[in-house]
Amino acid sequence: MLELFLGILTAMGGFVEVGELTFAVNAGAKFGYGLLWVAGVGALGIIVYGEMAGRVAAVRGQPVFNLIRERVGFDAGLVTLVAAVAVNVLTCAAEIGAIALVWQLFADWPYRAWVAAACVFLVLAVWVLPFQWIERVFGLGGLLLVVFLVIAMIEAPDLGEVGAAFVPHVPSLESTQQYLLYAYYAVALLSSIMLPYEAYFYSSGAVEDRWKPSDVGRNRFIVVVGFVLGSLLCVALIVVGAQFFAPRHIEPQLPGVVATSVAVHFGVAGLLIAIGGMFFAFAGAAIETALSAAYGIAQFFGWPWGRFRPAHEASRFTIAWLAVFVLATAVILTGVDPVSVVEYSIVFSVVILPLSYLPLLLVAGDRRLMGEYANGSVARVLGWLYMVLLTVAALAAIPLLILTHGGQG
Amino acid sequence: MTTASRSKLKSRGIDRSIHLVRDVVDHEIVDAHQLPCGSVDDIELELDPRHGLRPVALLIGPGAWQRRLPSPLAAVVRWLAGNAETRVPWSEIAYIGERVALRRTANELGLGEADRRLGRWIARIPGG
Repeated sequence: MLELFLGILTAMGGFVEVGELTFAVNAGAKFGYGLLWVAGVGALGIIVYGEMAGRVAAVRGQPVFNLIRERVGFDAGLVTLVAAVAVNVLTCAAEIGAIALVWQLFADWPYRAWVAAACVFLVLAVWVLPFQWIERVFGLGGLLLVVFLVIAMIEAPDLGEVGAAFVPHVPSLESTQQYLLYAYYAVALLSSIMLPYEAYFYSSGAVEDRWKPSDVGRNRFIVVVGFVLGSLLCVALIVVGAQFFAPRHIEPQLPGVVATSVAVHFGVAGLLIAIGGMFFAFAGAAIETALSAAYGIAQFFGWPWGRFRPAHEASRFTIAWLAVFVLATAVILTGVDPVSVVEYSIVFSVVILPLSYLPLLLVAGDRRLMGEYANGSVARVLGWLYMVLLTVAALAAIPLLILTHGGQG
Repeated sequence: MTTASRSKLKSRGIDRSIHLVRDVVDHEIVDAHQLPCGSVDDIELELDPRHGLRPVALLIGPGAWQRRLPSPLAAVVRWLAGNAETRVPWSEIAYIGERVALRRTANELGLGEADRRLGRWIARIPGG
């Protein structure tokens, strides 16, 4: 029971990272509740594919990149691997930059010194902590972001209006450019909620925790309850954007600015809770992306992998996650804006989403491979509906990025 | 003796090879201790006058999978990862299921040498 409870809280606390935080608050600040339905669609999507990833890992003991190579072959699999690693490095870089921005609020060290300190901290955390503790410390710490749910309630939105906004619709806007910007935000928000590293990490974690077919029920419960609660945080951030930032004509680009919405109501204590939650959420995401990249490479080439093995018994896997941290730090040390990096990583993520999730859908639905645990009709229908939706989003992502000048309108 | 990649096998229309491609090529390999020790990057086939083509070995390592890449990319990968290739006789396969399981350890078959070499360095670091 405790395991289940911790699993749910971890899934909830690990749901938000800097890209989602930025896009969700800005979506609210720019379009009010106009993109809430996208958060709902994204949440259901990550539940559908997260559940499949965990179920396949529990039944076959195979994580996502094993399946990708087996099912789509070496060439397409290698393209997916290279793209996934690139996106993971970029996302990890953005999270490291965001951690440095958060720490900079406490002491006036140069930004690059904080970036280097963040890298050292993350490497030590992964080196020292066992896998379950990595999940728990950062997942549970990320729960401090629940303070944004409180702020969303304090800002007293019209709950009827919020509820109605979950019905898919396109609001009436002033110009074609505004519609393009709305579409860009819709695609980016969907991608930030369904980032592929979440499925890689979740399924690899299930193998690390040695799940068995008897864990299929537990997997479903954790994914559904944990991700629904996690997506509530995303909804709260959109509401805070609409209720707090939009009337003040602020489009927050920095995590510290987002935290001011808490400081206004709860003073310094509230600010510390919000910033603490952001730190754990960003650090958790940085670790998950670095490990996800290493999991992907190791699984694709059949190397020993996993934090359950001593580092020297999975040495190429160890070198891989260390290299991702170093590379991500190098990217952010060039002085590039972390929020811009995360925007690009999220848009490029959506391009590889169909390739990442298709093998999972094929294997989870294959009765020869999964037996009685194969997709039922609900998972099958939702899985294919989302595959169509993700393919459309993947095709639209880059043109929208260009047409909106990277979301600047 | 020939070495055939997935596309070549398919193009020859060999029915039995379809199963090789689906169930063996690109599958993870584990040794006698269930330790992952590579993926099936290629398969070596032998032309038997009586039985036609039959598989004789698994080919594992960058040297094997580089042949499946376009040549300019293969050159870059060769420069980055070398072209080491390990040949594991078909008779060393214990069973083929979700993974290809071998009868002996990775060490005995010459697989995972890079991991062991790097591992000796990592083991010197506290906590490694």
